Amino acid sequence: MIEQILLIILFLIGFWGIIAKKNIIKKIFALSILNSSVLILYITEGSKIGTNAPIMEEGVKNVVDPVPQALMLTAIVIGVCITALALAIAFRLYRYTHTLDIDKIHRKLHDEPF
Amino acid sequence: MSHSDIIFAPIFLPLLGSALVFCGKSFFKGRKAKLIEYSAVFIGLGLPWIVLFYLLPFILSGTTIQLVIGNWFGGVGIIYRFDGLAWLVIFLGFLIASAAWIYTLGAGPRGLGFNAIFLIQTAALAATAMTADLFNLFVCLEILGITSYVLIASSEKPGAFLASFSYLMISATAMVFFLVGLLGLYRLTGTLSYEGIAAGLKILPGEGGITAIVSLSLIVAAIAMRVAVMPLYGWLPDAHALAPHAISAVLSGVLIKTPLFALTRILIILPGGIEAGRLMGYAGAATALVGVIIALAQKDTKRLLAYHSISQIGYIVSAWGAAVTAGLSTPAGLTLMTAAFLHAMYHALFKGLLFLTIGTTTDLAGERDVYKLRGAAIILYRGGEKFPVTLLCFLVGALAIMAIPPLNGYASKAALSYAFKGSWQASVLFAAGIGTTASFIKLSRIYWPQKKINQSSPKTGTIPGKVSGSVQISQIFLAIMCIASGIFASRISLIVKKLLSNGIIDTNRVPPNLFSIQNLEKTAITVTAGIVLFLIVSTGSGKKILSLIRNRPRNFQGLFLSFSLGMFGLTLWMIYKS
Repeated sequence: MIEQILLIILFLIGFWGIIAKKNIIKKIFALSILNSSVLILYITEGSKIGTNAPIMEEGVKNVVDPVPQALMLTAIVIGVCITALALAIAFRLYRYTHTLDIDKIHRKLHDEPF
Repeated sequence: MSHSDIIFAPIFLPLLGSALVFCGKSFFKGRKAKLIEYSAVFIGLGLPWIVLFYLLPFILSGTTIQLVIGNWFGGVGIIYRFDGLAWLVIFLGFLIASAAWIYTLGAGPRGLGFNAIFLIQTAALAATAMTADLFNLFVCLEILGITSYVLIASSEKPGAFLASFSYLMISATAMVFFLVGLLGLYRLTGTLSYEGIAAGLKILPGEGGITAIVSLSLIVAAIAMRVAVMPLYGWLPDAHALAPHAISAVLSGVLIKTPLFALTRILIILPGGIEAGRLMGYAGAATALVGVIIALAQKDTKRLLAYHSISQIGYIVSAWGAAVTAGLSTPAGLTLMTAAFLHAMYHALFKGLLFLTIGTTTDLAGERDVYKLRGAAIILYRGGEKFPVTLLCFLVGALAIMAIPPLNGYASKAALSYAFKGSWQASVLFAAGIGTTASFIKLSRIYWPQKKINQSSPKTGTIPGKVSGSVQISQIFLAIMCIASGIFASRISLIVKKLLSNGIIDTNRVPPNLFSIQNLEKTAITVTAGIVLFLIVSTGSGKKILSLIRNRPRNFQGLFLSFSLGMFGLTLWMIYKS
């Protein structure tokens, strides 16, 4: 139970950070935190049954559900791609506007959108 | 490797093409690299056409090819299903992608990065249309997303980076909620394929109860965000308006519809899916009307078109939602679904055409403001178009979206109003049609000559660049498709219906009588009302109202607020209905 509560807190921290933080780099951090909370949720939920790592060898018994782990490997890769791309875009935004504040970026680009 | 593995060709050929693009650049230089790049694009966008037409007779006769990737056993491997729906969506994707790619030859963006990403996006479109596995759907949607963030930003406009960033953040957050929903369904049923989940939920007491319902609503909300239904549309206008023109055509034409049709597969078999479809249908009708009102208020040409995409996707979603509610196996549901797909296809054609022609015009004129740009026809003439191809193509597109016979927009809107048969949605869509007419009269004004010819305008002095041949070819191609699909609309509706019903022979056309007096009368009323509406909004107070709508506050937080509210509303609705 305690791990679920901690994960919900982690999830909410991420979600709050994306919405409330003005700095776009912090927003990207928050997205990573949000993503990680769901990754850990999958792993903890998948390990409810069994105790051993799902490596199919002689003598290994009582393994955890391998599917969530396989899924999360994919999700981690996607998360890394998104973080990298978001950071690249943030860098370009900084070069154009010389600020990382989302509201200031909005204002600067709103006046001359093209 | 068996015979039916050929259904993977529309996914693997573009991926192979994008790999070849990189290889060509790494190992060769100059002419050879160009040659390899073009042949790679031909492999990616050209060869799948042969496969599609080879498969058409099988699909028309009602065969559904279902395969598990890598020959794993069913419970573990990823299931792909190639049926009529998949064929139609993939056909549409390749049609628009091919036309858009030809356009980029003349107007950019060019280069290896662009071509490779564009091909990956096309592959992901095909995969999204075929997949029958919930986690694979997540991966496909993420690939579609990541490629579109890159392609939107590739126009190198500062605003495009902001649009891309907003889209990335909202969509990545939505996909996290998708994953949470996926975990809920996986925990209940222990499987990821749609059929497995549906079968698993059926044997659970109370069909999985509240966990299943909340999980499904999280998944539906995340996909609805991609489709840009009403409360979740905020990311779209900037992204579509600031992307390169060819990419706008693909994004508006195909990319927002593919997740919708992929969602069909989930909603028709999972318990509670019907209610989600019903609510999305209602939201779609509202989207059609609100989208067009905001579109009418815009002053940037491409943003006006982007809001029209929202409005038109509202038409599609409202018919689609009603079809899911009625059930695809019933005649009424099938008619609605046919109308929804016809409008999706025709919208892709005419909206793609509009984005390309407006893009050509505004690039040449160096001005995108509807109120400032005038005399664009003359500018195009001075840009080297002795025969006004772009102007005529724009007119075809504009008349099609205004639903003037015999163009294709008329056929699909008649199909929609026939399928709705006088329910309240029909009246909402009719009202939205009036707004569409008014706003396209407003947009057409950029081609009207200036009032004073010798007005000193610095923009008309120099014409940057010319209209190139490939730009004209892709515009003419789409314009011809618009006219042809309008003329042969009844026959096309039969084919689409047959494909969507997986080969059931049904000779009722949608609508049964396309050029009936009633339909023509309706068109006349819409056009007249549209002109009146245009005159009203051209007055001083009308312009004030429009600028209020245009300058309504929009910010980054608003995107997340509307997403959270939309998701919450959907969850409450589904708990209430179950």
